[in-house]
Amino acid sequence: MREVVCEKEDIHPGKMRSATLGKIPIVVCRTKDGEFYAFANRCLHQGAPLSEGILCGDTKRTDIHGNYEYIKDGEILRCPWHALEYDIKNDGVMLAEPDKKLRSFQVAIEDDQVVVYK
Amino acid sequence: MPKRRKQRRIIDTDIHERVTYSDLLPYLDNPWRRYIEDNHWVQEKHMPYTQPTVAGVDRADAVTPDGGAAGTDLGFMQKQLLDAEGHEYGILSGALDPSPSSMHGWYEMATALASAYNDWQIENWLEKDSRLYGSVHIAAQEPQQAVREIERVGSHPKMVQILLPIDTRSWGDPYYHPIYEAAERHNLSIGMHHNEPPTHFGGWPRYFIEWHTMLPTAHMIQVSNMVFNGVFDKFPGLHLIMIEGGFTHVPHLMKKMDQQYKELRHEIPWVKRMPSRIIQEHVRFTTQPVEELSQKEFMQFVDQMGSEDMICFATDYPHWDYDSPLEALPKLDEALEEKIYSENARAAYPKLPQPAGSVK
Repeated sequence: MREVVCEKEDIHPGKMRSATLGKIPIVVCRTKDGEFYAFANRCLHQGAPLSEGILCGDTKRTDIHGNYEYIKDGEILRCPWHALEYDIKNDGVMLAEPDKKLRSFQVAIEDDQVVVYK
Repeated sequence: MPKRRKQRRIIDTDIHERVTYSDLLPYLDNPWRRYIEDNHWVQEKHMPYTQPTVAGVDRADAVTPDGGAAGTDLGFMQKQLLDAEGHEYGILSGALDPSPSSMHGWYEMATALASAYNDWQIENWLEKDSRLYGSVHIAAQEPQQAVREIERVGSHPKMVQILLPIDTRSWGDPYYHPIYEAAERHNLSIGMHHNEPPTHFGGWPRYFIEWHTMLPTAHMIQVSNMVFNGVFDKFPGLHLIMIEGGFTHVPHLMKKMDQQYKELRHEIPWVKRMPSRIIQEHVRFTTQPVEELSQKEFMQFVDQMGSEDMICFATDYPHWDYDSPLEALPKLDEALEEKIYSENARAAYPKLPQPAGSVK
């Protein structure tokens, strides 16, 4: 299955939008370095629409209490309800439970259009 | 969004409508109005965290279409929650905080705010949607004034409970019993919902994740306090609904209280039955914020509670830890789901209408 979502420039770096792939609700994300990723638009927890959340970063794991280092800015898709986090550059893996991940879809840029494949 | 569970009759026991000070001004007399309008009074809040979520305490997708704060627009709430999820009824639990921890000693202003809020709630929410039922807000730290307010609005047909905050006081103390007497008089239940701060010992923990994890401890303190101070022996018709503490702590609490009762009963001779029995008969617990539970795990909690009548469903809309009626709970036996999603709440709130053809 192939679906043209929008023009490439319709999604600015660091932004996302909802779409459908056939009957499947999807969210198409664009990282700050311009790459595109597409996932099922449904949180694995209670099904919230992820496209209503935000693209943000993570805090780097540390052994030093009180030490904060902000990483992966714009690469973490965070749920609009319970704030569960998914690493969009790492196959949609849930940060808290890495054995869980979002259903992902292949994205291609064809003639400046964002095209998603199943 | 795919729906795993068929839509069913839902009585949602925790929906937060939100007021702004400007909304309240028409319902306030001077000098109270002046404190807000001319002196720019704002309520001091205590929570030391910025909630590390997407939109503070709210669902990010609950911002109103005109950009207003979540919970401020009846029409949007009807569309996003009541219509979408098929609610039969929703109990409004508000977002005003006239509690001791926020108002300190200024109970005169707290009383005025609570009255204004009740009038605002009735006019703008309860009388505009037949599905919505309300909570009487009171400045409970001053029982005489609180009882006056209950007498003033408690007989409104759509007021179903009196709201008490879970913060710095334990409400079983006989000093507060006039509130329960008034509740019985008006066939109102008591709803307890956490305010700020709900931690009795150690004050605020360092992180929001600690505070949110330990919410049930504040609920346990209140239930223990209400039971051991003999509230339900003194007011045998009283219903207590513990809102937004979940229910998985309850089996431990019941077991612990029973054991203590066997050993220390002589200290509280006004309590005449096993605490677990009192809790089973008088206290109800909302599901939200529910942990992810398998059907087997869920049923283990129910079995240990010894009753299928104690758990009531709640969404906590529009807050960030909202629980979806279709997704939050595991699939359960049909009859149990009917109880949790609607009938347990209908029994806990005697003023709610009964299903057509039923005899109460």
